Amino acid sequence: MNKLIHIILTFLILALSPSIFGAASDEVKTSSADFETTTFEDEIYDPLEGINRAIFSFNNVADRIVLEPVAKGYKRLPSPIQSGVGNFINNLKLPLAALNQLLQGQGKNAAESSGRFLVNSTVGVLGLIDVADNIGLDQKEEDFGQTLATWGIGDGFYIVLPLFGPSNVRDTTGMVMTMMTDPVNAYAASQGQAWAIPVKTAANAIDQRSQIIDEVNALRDNSVDYYAAVRSSYYQNRKAAIMNTDDDVLTPLPLISIEFE
Amino acid sequence: MHRIKILFVFLIFISLNAKANEAKNWLNKEIDIIISAIQNNDLPNENKFLMVENTINNNFAGTGIAKFVAGKSWNGSSKEVKKEYIKLFKRHLALSISSMMQGYSDQEYQLTNSSYDEKNKVTLVDMEIFSDTGSIQVTWRVKKSKDRFFVIDLLVADISLVVTKRSEFNSMLKSVDYNLSEFNKKLLSQNESSYQKITN
Repeated sequence: MNKLIHIILTFLILALSPSIFGAASDEVKTSSADFETTTFEDEIYDPLEGINRAIFSFNNVADRIVLEPVAKGYKRLPSPIQSGVGNFINNLKLPLAALNQLLQGQGKNAAESSGRFLVNSTVGVLGLIDVADNIGLDQKEEDFGQTLATWGIGDGFYIVLPLFGPSNVRDTTGMVMTMMTDPVNAYAASQGQAWAIPVKTAANAIDQRSQIIDEVNALRDNSVDYYAAVRSSYYQNRKAAIMNTDDDVLTPLPLISIEFE
Repeated sequence: MHRIKILFVFLIFISLNAKANEAKNWLNKEIDIIISAIQNNDLPNENKFLMVENTINNNFAGTGIAKFVAGKSWNGSSKEVKKEYIKLFKRHLALSISSMMQGYSDQEYQLTNSSYDEKNKVTLVDMEIFSDTGSIQVTWRVKKSKDRFFVIDLLVADISLVVTKRSEFNSMLKSVDYNLSEFNKKLLSQNESSYQKITN
């Protein structure tokens, strides 16, 4: 009986172990279906493309003249200052992130975000130091656009917003909801300090832009159609954010064949 | 019997893990070659790029990616046009990756994790690039063929290079009625412009 089990086990291991029969399983054959069947480039609904492209060109000029140089200057500041600004802005986003996590049924994440806000606002000196990260409370961002998507609301069509950049109908609605419900904005307005709202938005834009200077330049310098590249990047990034899954699992896997010349 | 089951699962896990690690070690070596070429200040920029291009052409599934990115325009094109397109695409890919890696050349990086996707026969290798204020994650998709590894895609912060290129090329191809020959002219012009930027 033991011998029989041994034989069966050996057979199963040989049959199923990819490293042993690796050569056969790795054989990649060329098939025309590899490059015909996928259609995810057509999924982006962009009926306002003409207008969007015009706004995109304007944004691109504004980025080159204003945002990129300012972000580069910001990047030259000592890293503790950059981290402090980034942490402070991220901390201000946490109350709304926690609310959106609750609305999406992510109780654990909502509790973590609330904990982060509490710890960083107190021990972390008004959010300037990210103490919460060191005790395992990770930053997980959620916004109203993501909440609406979780509730089953579709993207709508693609929109490029002046200065704010790529978006779609759902995410623009989410952005307006964020502006209207942000407790930080409400507090600033109630104190007669409404000027702080655009300053916070601008600081956030500079901080975010400073983190992707190389990536944006690489994309801009090497795209045959920069507009389409940004549009695709936006959708992939949002899809990953909405699904809250690993990028490698989420992104559709291109069926690339390997050929030798 | 329960022990046999555990042993069985364990052996499969070990096997998949070994496969993922093999790809990770290979990739680490190739990235080092690219980074050291970019960091070598004794080399003129043209030579740096040629070294990077050579490494990318040897290690990326360039022809397969080129076909995928061309989408439906591929089938109606002649052999010569396809050949020209693949040549131009490979240079375009090298310019795109070289440009991106240039930005990372003065930063620390680490290959943090690797896993083997049995269903798609693809190894996913995560790379973390550190800066003073944070880090960015890059995921390499690696496939093995004829006892060699090839990179089939690169993801930066959830954005796939190959999917983005396909979308971008499709938009441009649409403007020339999916005529690959016409598109080649645009790609050549873009390559020349990118080459100027990267070598100056």
